[in-house]
Amino acid sequence: MSTDIDSPGPAAAAGSAAPLTLREQLARTERAISESGYYEADLSLKESDPITFEVLFTRLLQTLTNAREIALSISASPSTREQGEIIFGLYTREGDAICLSTGLMIHVHTMSRAIKWMIENDYETLVGFDEGDYFFNNDSFIGGGHPSDQMLITPLFIDGRLEGWVGGLTHVTETGAVEPGAMGSSFTSRFAEGLILPCVKIGSGDALRKDLDILVDRGVRSSTSWLADNRAKLTGDMIVREKLKEIVAEVGLGFYRKICREYIEDTMRATREKVRRSLFPGRYREVAWRGVTLPGQESLLHSPCELVITKDGRLELDYDGLPSARRQPFQATLPLFEGMLFNGLIQNVFYDLRYNDGTFLAVRLNVPLGSACNPGNIQLPTTLWGPAYGGMQACAQAVSRAYYAQGYREEVHASGPLTSGNLAGGVDQYGRLFGSQCFEFASSGMYATSFMDGLDTAFSDFNAEGDMGDAEVWEQQMPQIWLAREIRRDGGGFGKFRGGNGIHSLYLIPEGTDMEMGSFGSPPIFSTAGLMGGYPAASLRVWVGRNTKLSEMLSDGLDAPNGEGLHTELPDFVTEVEAEWEYVPGQNYPARVLPPESLFSVVSGDGGGYGDPLERRPEEVLRDVTDGLSSERTALDVYAVVFTRDDADLIDGVDAEATTTLRAQHRRDRLARAIPASEYKARVRERLIAGDIPAPAAALYRDVLQFSAKWAAEFRTFWQLPDDYEVPA
Amino acid sequence: MTSYPVQMINDLLEGTLPLDEVARLQRDKDLDRVATVLELEQARVAWDDRILVPLQESLYVVERGDGARVVKCRCGQEFGDYRRNWKEEAAVYERHPQDGIVYLKYKGADPAWQMLREFYCPGCGVQLDVEPVPVGYPFVFNFLPDLDE
Repeated sequence: MSTDIDSPGPAAAAGSAAPLTLREQLARTERAISESGYYEADLSLKESDPITFEVLFTRLLQTLTNAREIALSISASPSTREQGEIIFGLYTREGDAICLSTGLMIHVHTMSRAIKWMIENDYETLVGFDEGDYFFNNDSFIGGGHPSDQMLITPLFIDGRLEGWVGGLTHVTETGAVEPGAMGSSFTSRFAEGLILPCVKIGSGDALRKDLDILVDRGVRSSTSWLADNRAKLTGDMIVREKLKEIVAEVGLGFYRKICREYIEDTMRATREKVRRSLFPGRYREVAWRGVTLPGQESLLHSPCELVITKDGRLELDYDGLPSARRQPFQATLPLFEGMLFNGLIQNVFYDLRYNDGTFLAVRLNVPLGSACNPGNIQLPTTLWGPAYGGMQACAQAVSRAYYAQGYREEVHASGPLTSGNLAGGVDQYGRLFGSQCFEFASSGMYATSFMDGLDTAFSDFNAEGDMGDAEVWEQQMPQIWLAREIRRDGGGFGKFRGGNGIHSLYLIPEGTDMEMGSFGSPPIFSTAGLMGGYPAASLRVWVGRNTKLSEMLSDGLDAPNGEGLHTELPDFVTEVEAEWEYVPGQNYPARVLPPESLFSVVSGDGGGYGDPLERRPEEVLRDVTDGLSSERTALDVYAVVFTRDDADLIDGVDAEATTTLRAQHRRDRLARAIPASEYKARVRERLIAGDIPAPAAALYRDVLQFSAKWAAEFRTFWQLPDDYEVPA
Repeated sequence: MTSYPVQMINDLLEGTLPLDEVARLQRDKDLDRVATVLELEQARVAWDDRILVPLQESLYVVERGDGARVVKCRCGQEFGDYRRNWKEEAAVYERHPQDGIVYLKYKGADPAWQMLREFYCPGCGVQLDVEPVPVGYPFVFNFLPDLDE
């Protein structure tokens, strides 16, 4: 199938005697795409030989996936090795993604951003590109999400000319930040996030520089994850690069160039066609919630998403209304926000297309500059993404509504979980420095769908194929000892189909350690919404127990605590263990030194519920109670299910008649306590005029009324407030 | 063109379709789905107004005999012109986020941050939406279908 076709794409139309620099070619290509609407004007290779078209793409995909699997085996990092927090991609000369392995789909586009950044900043002249060079980037304003997202990119040279790029990305668990584990919730500056290397050439001649290894070794608490992952990525990059040379030698360079462009163009066209066929045209609006809990700036943050689907298959996303960027870590760079959105869209809509930048090019996205998802100002921290994660949740719910209307109910679901967990650092019981975050939250509770409950401890949006990792492996990296790892009962949002329950873990700080521990997550809010009458997932929280009497308990022959138990109020481990207990609503707990024998309890996040809980099949409520996934209290109060009992007073079935009667009563009770929307609005309007709004919401309204003219106008119109209304002090 | 038995789609709507069958639907889309679902939805309601689009669980945009396009609950309750947010005609209840009925103290939001705003159908009391929002947040207008020919 070798051929002499040579089509460098739409930019080649204007002939030029001198070869273009990369920067010139990138500018011309992007201008040409913008003007023509095409990445490649024709799909002649696909049309003339569709079998070869598919076979070659499969070979590229196989090459990247093979590299990923081998790299997984090289890395010593649990988050990479155990959970698969890794992805490899192949890019055009201009940095557009052609094909990606499975894995961290957030980064479909973030490595593309970094390649383009190097080109636009004239690295070709100032730094130089040679075969065997490796460029490391963890500057999230250039590409990636936060300094934990670390990419290693190498140029692909064919016959002495740079023809493309290969990149690998992993999420590492320690960056030398102010708090251990890289994802602290207290950061007010990007410079608190640790060691940041912006597209630095850390290798040449297929070898990594030793002095930069030393820089990392001395710059972070534990360099194992960072350095081992670099070797894994270098290996994967090399595997892909060498295989690509073989493929190009086989098919011919001109053929390779054109077919890569056709892959991107084909995905652009397929993206529009999938939207046109699958999603009902209209305007959709959803909102997701996060917040800041730093002293002096407690505020809610929202992610208002407007999705427009047109009849001809255009998909437009507008996030005008986001709060402004500030000195707080719950915000995101634009590359990360783009990555999160496309990660969500690929999982929910474009899962059966080729993953590449064609999808990105087919979607219109507006994220205001200066907002919490496009800060612009590089001194601001973007550690914990906040509204970007919410923006993806809101987009996924909007898409679900579009599927629902089109009849494709098998694609409809509530919000995926806000994933959350702990981080720790210090000196372990063997005298070694350590620092890490625990990624067991990759197995949070999944969203409920329109046809089944969300899976328990099974899912995260950011890495849908991730796993929780073995506790014993985590204990080698983080010396916390798991006393409990259990399904969090009643964590998932209630509904006709309930959200999946996440994980609850209880850690013991062992003797001989000097450890600080914290967690990141949210303020005390519902951050995972339900859909169409379903409830949101439960709030996150932390319990910290200091000065425990655990040793005495064990000496006295008592059992160690092993979970939350069947409580309805305080969890069992709090009532069983004498200690100075601290309850932290929400899960933002900046790292603090915890003495040995302290206990630390976190939850991973749960899925949103779907539909009216009174429509849940009673036998499923019974099953959940029997399996310990839901409580009897919930069965009665939320689901209005009455059980029958045997002679020993144990539940043995559903009382169908009593359940029907109770559910009818619940519906009547709803209408008795509710008021008409018009009356409700009049009451709330008075509160707004009086300034009777709790501080976290008032802080949000004051900010967005100033920052977004569109949102401000709609807010004032909705509540019939004057054009100059501001929330009173 | 892929097509599936009507009974299979009906089971999907009822939430009783086996998961391996759901997976088939996810893998290979039938392009006649809209028509099939509209037929099934029409058969599930007791009134005669023509369903134009299922808006969400329990709610539809229908065309009445007089040509008006309105949002209608499966119970027959109407919510007015579909271009206006149906929530404006709903019954509304602000639930304390730790009321001990839905969420207990250690699993609910802090009332200073959020509450649960519940929207019910005034006709039958079905719960149509739950917005976890702070006081003063406008109703979210979730879906305005493009019905223009």
